[in-house]
Order: sequence, then C-alpha cells, then structure tokens
Amino acid sequence: MTEATPPTTTTSTTATTRGTAPATAGSPARVAEDTSQGRTTIAASVVQKIAGIAAREISGVYAMGGGVSRAFGAIRERIPGGGTGAANIAGVQVEVGEKQAAIDLDIVVEYGASIRELARAVRRNVITAVETMTGLEVIEVNIAVNDIHLPELDDPEDLPAPVVSRVE
Amino acid sequence: MTDSPAPAGRAAASPDDMFVETVAALVAAHPAVARLDGGRFGDVATYLPGRRRLVGVRVGEPGEPVEIAVVVLGDRPIPQAVAEIRSAVAALRPGPVDVTVSDIAVGPLGDGP
Repeated sequence: MTEATPPTTTTSTTATTRGTAPATAGSPARVAEDTSQGRTTIAASVVQKIAGIAAREISGVYAMGGGVSRAFGAIRERIPGGGTGAANIAGVQVEVGEKQAAIDLDIVVEYGASIRELARAVRRNVITAVETMTGLEVIEVNIAVNDIHLPELDDPEDLPAPVVSRVE
Repeated sequence: MTDSPAPAGRAAASPDDMFVETVAALVAAHPAVARLDGGRFGDVATYLPGRRRLVGVRVGEPGEPVEIAVVVLGDRPIPQAVAEIRSAVAALRPGPVDVTVSDIAVGPLGDGP
C-alpha cells in the first residue's frame, strides 16, 4: 500500500514515453509536406547500390551474391558496358516503397569471421547507410550467407597435391 | 499557337521552352547532381523546337507538377539534395515539384573480388 508511489511514477514515465513516441515517428508530417510540394521517388537501383556498397564496407564480407549471380557477374564484367555498375548490386535485392525499404542480401564471408557478428555489423551499416542516404525507413535486412571463402585456397601451391593424384 | 510571333529563320523559343531550359541548367548545376535522366520509363523529357529532346525535365500545364529526374552523386544524403533542388525549382515556378532519383553514381567500388 505504501509502495503505491513508485508505480505511479512508472506509469507517468510510460505515459510520457508513449506521448513522445508518435511525435518521434514524425515521418507522416514529412510525407505530407512532400505531397504538397511534390513527390520524391527513389529508384530501387539507388537503394541497391547503397546497400551493396555498405555491405562490402564491412571487412569479413568477401563477396556478394549467390553462386549463380557471381558466375553471371564474372561473365558480365567481360561484357563492355555491363561492368562495375552491375557488380555493385550483385547479391542485393530490394523492395522500395514511398517511405520504406526492405533489403535482402546474399553474402560470402571470409573464413575466420564470426558470422553472427558480421551479419549484425552488415545489417547495422546497411541500415545506417540507406536511411541516411535515402531517407527511407529500412524495415528489414535479411542476410543469407551463401558461402565461406577460405583464403589459403587462393594460392594453388597451398592446395594439397595428393587430392589430385589419389584418383589416378 | 498558330499566331505565335516566331522570329523568322529561327525555331520559336517560347517562354515555356526557355523556362524548361533554365530549370534543366539549374538542376544540372546542383553539386549533388551527376546528370539529368529520363526517369524510369524515359518519359521525363521535353520536346523542344529544333528537333531537340531535353531529358530530365518535364513541365506540364499550369497546375501540374514540374517533373525532374536525376542521377545523383553518392557523396551526400539524397533527401537534402532533393529538397534543395525542389526549392530551387519551386522558386522559379511555385507549385509541386516531383523529383525522381533514378540512379546513384558511385565510383568503381564494385571491382571487388
């Protein structure tokens, strides 16, 4: 009975938080302002490129894209005009609305990276980059780790030779 | 339209056409703009006399929004750049300005592995 004061305080704090929450989510106001002055449309490829670059900024991301898209990317780079622009958006699928964006990423990680931490860092960086650059709210970033890259296998000398000779 | 006092020997430069070119120059001069663009369907464009087609700006009838489509540079936030472009254009002709960001120009960062 005597402890009735703390709950009251808590309730009032909650009420204050609730009161500020709709004001913080004041994007409708911005949108309303936008509609009176004209619409802003941001193309999906803009979001794709920003997300792709932001994901690659995290060390531990070796490449972007699934096996198929990486294979096509390798071919595409040899075609004039199909080059670097397309490489930026490999492994990035986006859905862009008027206010929100959803992003799916396919990444290949380096061996030795904590995938959990890496995914978290990628997600954070992508959300920050896309929200800062486009003003869209990122509602989700789904990350699919398709493969892991083993650095030592880049060097042909490091490959164990018996693997080849054993099947002779 | 039939009685437009066009100077002889030159394609008629109506005030509307001049306005479109002014807007195009203004938008293209913005530091965040890489180039003008035709928008998603290439429909953001104005046909000008002299068989020219100005891509990136469309000015409708009075009351219709001015449409702008640009490729922006990736070195600054887009909303701010769009707001600056919009206010600059709206200063020339009050009314809504629809801005489409068709693409973002980024450096050759995609040369990765």
